Amino acid sequence: MYYHLQQLYQHRELLGAWTMRTIRARYKQSMVGGLWAILQPTANAIIFTIIFTQLVPINTEPIPYIVFSYTALIPWTLLATGITDMSNTLVENMGLITKIYFPREVLLMAQLLARLVDFAIATSILLVLIIIYRQQIDFDPIVFLAFPLILLIQLALMLGLGLIISSINVFYRDVKHLVTLGLQIWLYLSPIIYPVTRIPEQYHTLYFLNPMAGILEAYRAVWLYGQWPDSSSLLLSATISFFLLIFGYFFFKRVEINFADVV
Amino acid sequence: MYSIEVKNLGKRYQIGSRLHSLRDAIWPRIPKNEDNIHWAVKDVNFALTPGQSLGIIGPNGAGKTTILKMLAQVTPPTEGYVKLNGRFSALIALGAGFHPDLTGRENVYLNGAILGMKRSEINERFDQIVAFADIGRFIDTPVKRYSSGMYARLGFAIAAHVDPDILLVDEVLAVGDYAFQMKCYSRMDELRQQGTSLIFISHNMDAVRRVCDNAMVMYQGKSVFHGSAGDAIVAYSDVIRQAAKKSQLSPHKTDGLAQKVMTFDAEIEAVTVKTTAGQQVNTITSGQTIQIYVKTRFHKAVQQPIFSLTIRTTDGRAVYITTSQWQQLETTDFPAHSQYNIIYNLQLTLLEGQYDIGVDIAAHDLSHYYDRLERALTIQVIDNHQAQGIIDLSANISWEPISVEVKQ
Repeated sequence: MYYHLQQLYQHRELLGAWTMRTIRARYKQSMVGGLWAILQPTANAIIFTIIFTQLVPINTEPIPYIVFSYTALIPWTLLATGITDMSNTLVENMGLITKIYFPREVLLMAQLLARLVDFAIATSILLVLIIIYRQQIDFDPIVFLAFPLILLIQLALMLGLGLIISSINVFYRDVKHLVTLGLQIWLYLSPIIYPVTRIPEQYHTLYFLNPMAGILEAYRAVWLYGQWPDSSSLLLSATISFFLLIFGYFFFKRVEINFADVV
Repeated sequence: MYSIEVKNLGKRYQIGSRLHSLRDAIWPRIPKNEDNIHWAVKDVNFALTPGQSLGIIGPNGAGKTTILKMLAQVTPPTEGYVKLNGRFSALIALGAGFHPDLTGRENVYLNGAILGMKRSEINERFDQIVAFADIGRFIDTPVKRYSSGMYARLGFAIAAHVDPDILLVDEVLAVGDYAFQMKCYSRMDELRQQGTSLIFISHNMDAVRRVCDNAMVMYQGKSVFHGSAGDAIVAYSDVIRQAAKKSQLSPHKTDGLAQKVMTFDAEIEAVTVKTTAGQQVNTITSGQTIQIYVKTRFHKAVQQPIFSLTIRTTDGRAVYITTSQWQQLETTDFPAHSQYNIIYNLQLTLLEGQYDIGVDIAAHDLSHYYDRLERALTIQVIDNHQAQGIIDLSANISWEPISVEVKQ
């Protein structure tokens, strides 16, 4: 374990270079470049807003529905795109994996870091939205200290899942279809298009076993209500996320040496 | 102190299993069914000190790539170990990790990082790399617009400037023009003089001889020869011949490759050198006329084969090659189960030294060999020390006056 982490540290420059490659390559030869980062969550927010304010109204007062859903769609988009990218990255780079040694998790981490650029762009739009809708809530600026912590928990969750899914995908390529399906189901199981209050109280324990529930609620608490996140649900999310990360890392390191023989 | 040491290296694969099972990856187990296992590499040993070089040659499927993967630590050996002391760089697929949309400059930094260089080191060598690759102003163009030659040049330039202690080179010089190949060879020489150990894996015999002191011949996963590069090339030729002979004797168990290269419908049984007086000799005086007898048995009927003779110096440089086809000599058809002597009559104007004689018999359309001996025998030539070099051009030395001024 210590040896693996040491190897990873020695390849930190590669992580930087590969992250830059991923970011640069994504926006080269594209017309609007970084705008794609906000397009997906914005489009989703608009669609959901039309459906859930005009057709099947969902009450999110005092927060306008579009701000309410967009706040959760940003971290959700990070999760969905990040996990999809990570799942495929080992298979896409098989040419490299069969030829040169480096800790393979570098490839995954680079995908994750590259998606953070999108996340940052989309979050800046959220700030604009909040100003437009003039959220007159007593903000205690100190609650924003919780934001990097929530993000860290989410990244741990994503990397943990990415490590497991991407390595299984090397052996069984159908995994990537399962990922698409799984993410779709997960979207509806998480408090994105509806508030948690819509879930009957007696199911909350079960509901918050989904680590994204605690994470998304925490983002909303910080961004929309200027409050500290609910510590019990966030702690549960953090426990599950870091457990997944540690398990995923051990699993990945166990099967990693066989990647080059599978192809 | 070895910079690279390989001991009892072996790699076993399980054949026949359609999917590589994830379960096997998590809990490796020894396959029970002996028939399903295949040793891609077995019992390979070698060690190199700084500055030494080793060529690895062999037909496809001999285990070269598997060795390469184990050296690059991409796949773990089933048996034995690879010990590397120092910085390792692999010239395997040139430009591995290049992204087509990124510029040459961006890719230099990326590829350098993959090869384990720090950003500061790349900065230091950036100009050298660009100069070596001869990319010039294209360095800020996306590499997808590069020609394959430029792509390979940039890839080689980066890997060759890592300043590795151990350099692994695989079949990369097939791309690039002659001038660039020469540049690569001299860069490899330069690195070796600085103490880099070099492992060179190639099909190109001349390249191996150019770059390596020693070479290893791989065949069916085993090292069948390990010695000087010149001898290894002869050994490689013999390996192919043996394989062809085996497959000729048991037609149902062919190994494909040898079948294509050599069919053994005709077999060279003996090669001898005789004087005009009919005396069998191995030492020949320069300028003497000799006859090379190639005793050949035709197992099957062979139509109009091409006979060929090669004379090489012992370090493998060709001195003289001729074939019946180049001489526009129509050969006859040879019936099955017949035996013939093919006779080359020549005046041996070589200078003193040892020379290898190679002979082969090829199909009329050159699609394959019937039989081929890279080094059928070695002869010793002696001369009267009137000249040095390889060939006696019988230079006449004379002089004539241009102007003569006689002082009184």
